[in-house]
Amino acid sequence: MGGTSRRADRLIAFGLALGTVLWLLAVEGREGFGRDEAQYMRAGERYWGWFEELGTNLRQGKPGRSFAASAIDHYWSDNAPDHPVIMKTLSGLSWRAFHTCTCTGAARGLHPIPVRGRHRTLPLFSRDSTAFRFPAILFAALLVAMVFRFARTWLPPPAAAAAAVLTLAQPHYFFHAQIACFDAPIATMAFAVGFAYWKSLRDPRWGIAAGALFGVALGVKHNAWLMPLFLVAHYLWMRRGDLRARRLPRPPLAFVAMLVLGPIIFFLHWPWLWNAPIARTRAYVVRHLDHEHYNFEYLGRNWNQPPTRAAMKLLRATAPFVETGFTVPVTTLALVAFGAAALVRRRREEALFPGGESEAPPAAHPSWLRPGADVDRAPGAFVLFQTLGPLCVLAVPSTPIFGGVKHFLTAMPYLALLGGVGLTAIARGLEGALPVARARLRRAAPAALAFVVCVPAVIETRRSHPDGLGHYNLLAGGFAGGASLGMNRQFWGYSVLPMLPDLDAMASENRSLFWHDVLSDAISMYKREGRLSMGVGDTGFGEDGIKRSEIGILFYEKHWAKYEGWFWETYGTTQPVYVRAREGVPLVTLYRRGAR
Amino acid sequence: MNSRLLPRSAPPLLIAAAVVLLALIETAVALIAPSRAPTDADWAAAARQVRADFRPGDLIVAAPAWADPILRVHLGDLIPIEVAGRLDDDRFARVWEVSQRGARAPATAGGTVTLDQRFGRLTVRRVERQAEPVGYDFVARWADAQVSRVETARTVPCRKTGDRIQCPDLSFNFVHRQIVEVDNRLREALLAQPVGQAVVAIEYPAVRLGRVLVVATGLHDTWMRKAARGTVAMRVIVGGQPQALPTTSDDSGWTRTRIDTSARVGQVVPVRFEITSPAPYARHFAFAAEARG
Repeated sequence: MGGTSRRADRLIAFGLALGTVLWLLAVEGREGFGRDEAQYMRAGERYWGWFEELGTNLRQGKPGRSFAASAIDHYWSDNAPDHPVIMKTLSGLSWRAFHTCTCTGAARGLHPIPVRGRHRTLPLFSRDSTAFRFPAILFAALLVAMVFRFARTWLPPPAAAAAAVLTLAQPHYFFHAQIACFDAPIATMAFAVGFAYWKSLRDPRWGIAAGALFGVALGVKHNAWLMPLFLVAHYLWMRRGDLRARRLPRPPLAFVAMLVLGPIIFFLHWPWLWNAPIARTRAYVVRHLDHEHYNFEYLGRNWNQPPTRAAMKLLRATAPFVETGFTVPVTTLALVAFGAAALVRRRREEALFPGGESEAPPAAHPSWLRPGADVDRAPGAFVLFQTLGPLCVLAVPSTPIFGGVKHFLTAMPYLALLGGVGLTAIARGLEGALPVARARLRRAAPAALAFVVCVPAVIETRRSHPDGLGHYNLLAGGFAGGASLGMNRQFWGYSVLPMLPDLDAMASENRSLFWHDVLSDAISMYKREGRLSMGVGDTGFGEDGIKRSEIGILFYEKHWAKYEGWFWETYGTTQPVYVRAREGVPLVTLYRRGAR
Repeated sequence: MNSRLLPRSAPPLLIAAAVVLLALIETAVALIAPSRAPTDADWAAAARQVRADFRPGDLIVAAPAWADPILRVHLGDLIPIEVAGRLDDDRFARVWEVSQRGARAPATAGGTVTLDQRFGRLTVRRVERQAEPVGYDFVARWADAQVSRVETARTVPCRKTGDRIQCPDLSFNFVHRQIVEVDNRLREALLAQPVGQAVVAIEYPAVRLGRVLVVATGLHDTWMRKAARGTVAMRVIVGGQPQALPTTSDDSGWTRTRIDTSARVGQVVPVRFEITSPAPYARHFAFAAEARG
């Protein structure tokens, strides 16, 4: 690749990343806060409190105070042992740096840390939540740029750019990419670790990078624990010649670095661990190995525990594959199929496509520093393991599936990469089939085709927003088709946001408002941002919350049905006053006491 | 230039054309689909049609069923709690179906369509069918029941207190008419939790029998179904003749059993329901019953 081409690639990668940031920032304000996101925002702001106190202690010449066990626990116990803190800390720092401060106004008391005065900030964002979300959005942009860069090692620019666009233009990924959570950022890290590992097979510098990136991934979300499995699977496949010769493949530098740097970075990044490293690490690990099975709707059933009957186990095992088949845009899926076929048909030691990185071994002998230098690196197996690995883990019937696609979101950038491969195979076929005399047409065909296949994905993604969780693809029949198939529509109360103006306008009644699945942290953030009046009340959870209320909302998820029964009995009617729906599919219902 | 990586049997132009066609179809559907949803005006017009000819005792349903909340926004005043939480659809002679996207409601199966009219994206159908009139509704007449807890050595009578019939000593041992959630659907039923080493007996002393006694059973509350695995057994004794019902488990859903009483139509007999469980923890057993025909 020449210098001009490299510069062009950098420019394209930057353009794709910038486009991602702009698209996500343009629409994130329409997406409400889920239970988890509101908690992470609260925790992020509290973590910032520790840095603020550290600054004070530094000025007083007593930084040690901030490292006392009580000071650490005061701030860092929030949302522990649930999740490590890289994204939450970045959210907190971003909030502190970029929000527009109205913090000394009426909402001052809603901050989880004391507001001592007006914050001096670079006020990039008018809403606090945008500032909290900004780091996750940057991670999404980073992923899109990385997919392009990685794809360029195999594919021509139009297909590589399409792979990058198809990464973002997936309704469920897009939903998660703009919120202050960890599912999209861990997809970025899974791709970064995979990218570094791939490069490390022939370049030792990337081996160290893989270790450091793995440490960061561990600090983003616990999915990182699975990454080594999928990489080891590829490594063993790539070096199957060693196994056939009955010798163990040498552990590559990347794995050694991951083993050494991973735990160190993980431990250093999370102050909560420092006070009792073993006990607290254990608590964190157990929290996720023993995770509760929350409720989730799949094919008309509510799943909230591991199935016991064989037929149910089988049905449950299909979840990640069917969910992928019903949520990823269909054109993208078609490209993936062609991409898989292309990888299967690739000849060993040849580049995937002319102009792509060669798989001819540059060295004759193995080396733990360059463990892929004497063999074909098996790109097909690499993409296969990184794509199917996360899906297969979620196919195990005893694994909770309450997050739906978000639980295996790490597969999606690799899926898009596969789509890029498929696109290139088709484009090359098309070029070959066009008459030689039509040189301009032949040159334009790949870019035109890349544009055309991105259009449906972008349109579907735009259509899905801000209710991406309830959106299903052409095969499933969109929102309505998903509902008819009994697929999950939503979770954790984010979808109330478009109703806030109406709820806010119902003055006096809204002093006694039953919020159902919207947590108080989310309500506080809506108030901080002026989307709700300060006087709007919250009658609490469960049946008693409904009994105390004058108006109340209900999120349509199978397991919440009994709450609707409580509304009927308490309010004496089955008639809601309003239903928020997408394309006719109910998401949230509003009941009012005494309404007829 | 030939792409070796494409399947050999498929001409490259055809493959590219197929992918482009798929992309165009997907794009077109994504753009058009939102407009296929019924509008508020469609719902209002459909509701006007139903109201114009609605008779007390009619059933109104949405098809697909997931549209039911929107249906109730417009016609919920005609769907009282006991109808929304009905045992089943069989007692309704006239069913109004408000459907979209070509869906049909199970409640209209086997009936004759006597009205079929479109309102934008909605279709209103009136279906008339053979109904099973209810002679005795055991849920509505819960106050007639005599409840007792039969232990090994004694029978403990229970008393009506407020909105329930409460048995002594065990706070959870009561019979209560309420909305229950079985299989993630709401039903109006009697909640009667089983008691370990005892039989919870609910006896209606004088029931006029019809052709059939329909009993529906299930376990209430998705969290309770998650919390335990025990089964619940129910026996019905109709005028001295016992009849076992299917065992109720977490996976049973709302199970209907039809007991043929056609040989005793018009007779007034005691009907006794007996509930037991080998593992009663978190078993929020619910049932409804109707003597019909």
